[in-house]
Parts: sequence; structure tokens; C-alpha cells
Amino acid sequence: MKELSRAQIRDLMGEVLKNQGKVLPDDDAADLREVGFRSLDFSELALRVEDETGEELNFDAPGLRRIATVGDVLDFLVELQRQ
Amino acid sequence: MSDPAAHTQLVPPSSVVLVSGGSRGLGLAIVTDLLESGVKVAAFARTVTPELAKLADAHPDRSHVGSVDVTDLAAAQAFVRAAEERLGPIDGVVNNAAVGQDSLHVHTATADIARIIETNLTAPLQLTRLTVRRMLAQGLRGRIVNITSICAQRGFPGLVAYSATKGGMDAATRSLARELGGRVLVNAVAPGFFASEMSAVLGQTQLDQIVRRTPTGHLTEPEEVVPVVRMLLREQTNINGQVIVVDGAASI
Repeated sequence: MKELSRAQIRDLMGEVLKNQGKVLPDDDAADLREVGFRSLDFSELALRVEDETGEELNFDAPGLRRIATVGDVLDFLVELQRQ
Repeated sequence: MSDPAAHTQLVPPSSVVLVSGGSRGLGLAIVTDLLESGVKVAAFARTVTPELAKLADAHPDRSHVGSVDVTDLAAAQAFVRAAEERLGPIDGVVNNAAVGQDSLHVHTATADIARIIETNLTAPLQLTRLTVRRMLAQGLRGRIVNITSICAQRGFPGLVAYSATKGGMDAATRSLARELGGRVLVNAVAPGFFASEMSAVLGQTQLDQIVRRTPTGHLTEPEEVVPVVRMLLREQTNINGQVIVVDGAASI
């Protein structure tokens, strides 16, 4: 299975935000609320990762609720690809 | 073909009640309450918990419990036959067994969507068909209570498939009540979110917010739903084809 690196996922995250006129900060500790990255944006990012890898990434909502920073998003999706 | 007698005879209180998903939570509370009310109860669940086993031990002559997956129709059929041999004809059913969901629709595996629909919609329809056929064949009148959810009437993220199944059961409740012409009373009870469910997935801030929006000032507890189920099974009310919401007016 093809797996995207953390940096590649970061690039895709940047594209999701750019389409909304927002900018992805360099700092992984940046708060998602301040960035304006909402749960549906997370869905869009996950589906873009799916498109790249050809594998469905399914997960429960509680895992999503723990995500608060840019780094959390990247870590979650890197880990999800390995499951 | 109309049956004028059906409109004049009342449906007696259920005396032998089948409860699916009776091993914990609301199901266990319903089984407990019915047994304490003197009703005979046949309860099954995927796993018979120690709590359900203890109840059965305390009421050996009025209970029959077993491990049955509600989606296994043959097993459910065998359980019903065994329960009737032991307790007498079933004249009440509580369709309570269900699986939950906590995932956005686009990220829910297709197999999980199928499992939710099979467990929460197909299985109770099959169990209802099975038990109503037996009631009619034995010339009995009866009562059915479907445990649905406020999700059937209000939208909640993360509960798309679950809500669809509960809405399906609400709709089936109305059509069954019509179809069974007063010989079997069919109603649904739709609880709001239980405190235990909510606290498992939400933070304290969100919980506090929901409680503030609930006029009664608290989330629903299983003990608050049980009397409504008992009323529908046991009291003479002429309630039929209805969905009774128990949520402290959180949804109005």
C-alpha cells in the first residue's frame, strides 16, 4: 500500500486551507481553531489522502475530538495509514 | 376484510414479554422493572451479563434468558420457542437491541453501515414478524414497544446510519399499528441521549451546554424511560402507533 509521508500530508493540508483563502502555519503546535481548520476540512484532507493512497481511511469520531493542533492532524493521518 | 370485533375488544396487559438486548443499560433496566412488576420476561442479548444472569436466578419461574445475536434469525426463533415452552405464549415485545455509531458518514466503513442497518432495522423487523405471527396464530392480542431514539427526529453528526435505522423503526411503528388493526398495539419510545453515552464521547463543557439547553436540567436516565415502556405494555391507554419522546424537552 502506498503511504504518504508526514510532509506530503502537510502539503495536502496546505492545499485544503489555501482553497479557502487560509494559510497553514509552519508551526505544528498551531491551534486548529485559530487556523480555521474545521472537522469537515479534516474529512476533506483524509479523503485527499485516500485518493493518493487508494485505501479507505475509516475512523470513529472520538479520535477526531482529541485533535487540537496541526501536528495532531498530521500524526493522526500518518498513524491511520499504518492501521 | 374488516373485523368489527377488533374494535370492541381491548388489548390486555402483556403478561409474557420478550426483550431483545436485555443484558445491560436500558434493556437490563426494562427487564428488571418488568420482573419486579410480576411480568414473565424472556430476555436475550449477544452476551448474558452477570447482572442479567443474577436477575434470572432471582426469578427462576418467571424468566428465561439466553445468548442470542439479534441478527441470527434462526437463533432468535429457537429462543422464542424455548421461552414460550417455559413461560407461555409471548404477548409483548420490546425491540431494544441495537448498536450505536460515532463516526462521520464519509468515514464509516461500508461494512459498519450494513451492520448497523442489519442490527437496528432488519433484525427488529424480523423479530416483530416472527412474534406477531405467533401471536396471531394463537389467537392472542399483544403489544410491541420499539426503543428508538431522538436521533430519528433531530439531526446529529456522527449518527447518520444509526438515525436512519431509528427513523425506519418509527415509521414501521406507525404502519404496523395500522396494519394490525388494534389487535396488537405498537408504539415506540424515543429517549434522548443518556448521560452515560454522552459523557463517553463529549467533554464536560459540551455536556454542561446540553444540560443548560434541557428544560428539566438533566440528561435522560434509563430509569426515566422504564415507566413509559411499562405503561405501554401494561396500562389501558388506547395509545397506538405513537412515538413517545423522553428527553426533558431538550429537542423541542
